[in-house]
Amino acid sequence: MEPVSIKVLLLEDKPGDARLLCEYLAEVTSALFDVEHVTTLAQALERAVTEKHDVALTDLSLPDSFGLETFRRFHAQAPRLPTIILSGRDDETTAVTAVREGAQDYLVKGRLDAHSLGRSITYAIERQRAEEKMAASEAFYHSLVENLPQNIFRKDLNERFTFANQRFCALLGRSLDQIINKTDFDFYPSELASKYQRDDRTVIQSGRIFETVEENISPIGEKIYVQVVKTPVFDPKGRILGTQCIFWDITERQRWEQRLQQANSELARSEAALRRSHAELKAAQLQLIQAEKMESIGTLAAGVAHEVKNPLAILMMGVNFLTRRLGESDESVATVIKEMREAIARADTITRGLLEFSAKQQLAVTRQDLNGVVEESLKLIRHELKEKRISLELRLAAHLPPALIDKTSIQQVLVNLYMNAIHAMPSGGALTVCTYSREMTETTFSEGSRKSDHLWIGDTALIIEVDDTGTGIPQESLAKIFDPFFTTKPTGVGTGLGLPVSKKIIELHGGTLDVRNRPDGGARATIMLREAKD
Amino acid sequence: MGKKRILVVDDEKSFTSLLKLNLEETGHYDVRVENWPEDALAAAKEFKPDLVLLDIIMPRLPGGNVAAQIKNDPHLKQTPIVFLTAAVRKHQVEENDGIICDFPCLAKPATVETIIEMIEKHARK
Repeated sequence: MEPVSIKVLLLEDKPGDARLLCEYLAEVTSALFDVEHVTTLAQALERAVTEKHDVALTDLSLPDSFGLETFRRFHAQAPRLPTIILSGRDDETTAVTAVREGAQDYLVKGRLDAHSLGRSITYAIERQRAEEKMAASEAFYHSLVENLPQNIFRKDLNERFTFANQRFCALLGRSLDQIINKTDFDFYPSELASKYQRDDRTVIQSGRIFETVEENISPIGEKIYVQVVKTPVFDPKGRILGTQCIFWDITERQRWEQRLQQANSELARSEAALRRSHAELKAAQLQLIQAEKMESIGTLAAGVAHEVKNPLAILMMGVNFLTRRLGESDESVATVIKEMREAIARADTITRGLLEFSAKQQLAVTRQDLNGVVEESLKLIRHELKEKRISLELRLAAHLPPALIDKTSIQQVLVNLYMNAIHAMPSGGALTVCTYSREMTETTFSEGSRKSDHLWIGDTALIIEVDDTGTGIPQESLAKIFDPFFTTKPTGVGTGLGLPVSKKIIELHGGTLDVRNRPDGGARATIMLREAKD
Repeated sequence: MGKKRILVVDDEKSFTSLLKLNLEETGHYDVRVENWPEDALAAAKEFKPDLVLLDIIMPRLPGGNVAAQIKNDPHLKQTPIVFLTAAVRKHQVEENDGIICDFPCLAKPATVETIIEMIEKHARK
């Protein structure tokens, strides 16, 4: 291996000592020494600036300088040049002081040999390099600690601050001196301080990193939110010395997150509203279509009904005549005439239903107690209930607000619903009629109605439910039950107009009529009417 | 006591002939039928009925106009008129005690008994 070349500045005024040192250096085999020899400090200072030496060997007693002063001046001139002090036996103490002030080593003349001189020089150079590296590294980290936008501090196991960066000092509005050895209780409200110390203890006990977002107080007393990272600090042997904390202001971020969250929920809300209004629009469209349909059916029905009535009037006259002439003469003739009269009555009922369905009816509304209307209407079906062995359960709300209704029409509807229920229970059962009121929580749309006087959210709805324990309505029929002439009853029993007419009447009242199957069997018809407002 | 004279004005020939048959069958009524509404006034002037049974929906001249003609005639204005029509509905009639727009009304189809009842109630004695 090629020996390294080392440039030495030798400051020694005594020629004997200088020669001896040069001889020692020549003996060292691990390095080649290129020695520049000066005898005064003035020369040395000059050379140290212009020449690049690797190491300086300097005596302290010179013609132009003496003692520690020599080293100090030289070191001030060449602070980065590793310097070894050559001392006599009498000034070893001074040499030690020089080492403390930055000299790499000292050698006592007279106790020297080539080997120890070579080693001292090599070490001095290495040490200087290491120190420089360390200093650079320290400067690097110092710069990081002081320039990062984070607050950084350390505490010992007794919660006393052992370090704080300038940013944290500024945050507290104190100098570093005023912070060291203090605790959180000296700077923060006790509630916050306790919380901080609890977190520290968590870190100390677990030996793990701890992250949180917490409240802090800004220098101007503002509440801020900070992101906190706390880590344990260990000594080289792995024992915990304390904690290190890094935290930074995320108030702005929090604020944005909150705004984002708010915006998100607003978006969700308006999306829901959009979806709702879309559904409402769709419902309205359906309604409109249905209303058109109903209106054209209505016009047709009215025309048909009117045209059918005249022939019926003729038949009626004919039957009346035949009754008087032949009715009593022959039993079979009497039967024929009776059947004809009944057929006329049936056809008449249907035409009447049609007209009712199609009529732009005027309601004669008065303030009514629905419970009373229900009770009165039930009297009309007493006979049917008894005949079909159907029990009646009546559950009427104690304090039902009055309703503005056309009593006759509503009773017509109720009887219609009762009759449907009775027809659904051919072998007996139970008819339950109940009334109650409740506040609307959603708007209702009824098909076939174009009126704007719906029940709206917040309105008080008066409800009449008619339940039966019958067979229920087949799924495939449910959608058609309000279509005119749709009936499942045997010919002569149903006209197929009961529900459409009922629905129309209820809608003229601004209410809704709804029929569906009950989960526990049978069907339920629900009438919803508005409360009478003053 | 003489028979009551009833003028029936209705464009429906089958209906009027059967109604005439039914009423005359009772032996209490003398019935004249007029199927042409525009001839109703002339028929009334000539027949001098105790009561007119008048259809409303008729071609060319609706029953309302015929009624107006009769009421405007100084000799006929006291003649009672009963509308017998498909244009009103039974329950409408019932609810209004048989009177709609100041006129007694019967909804078609009506039985002979109902018609006779109405005649007896309103006809000039």
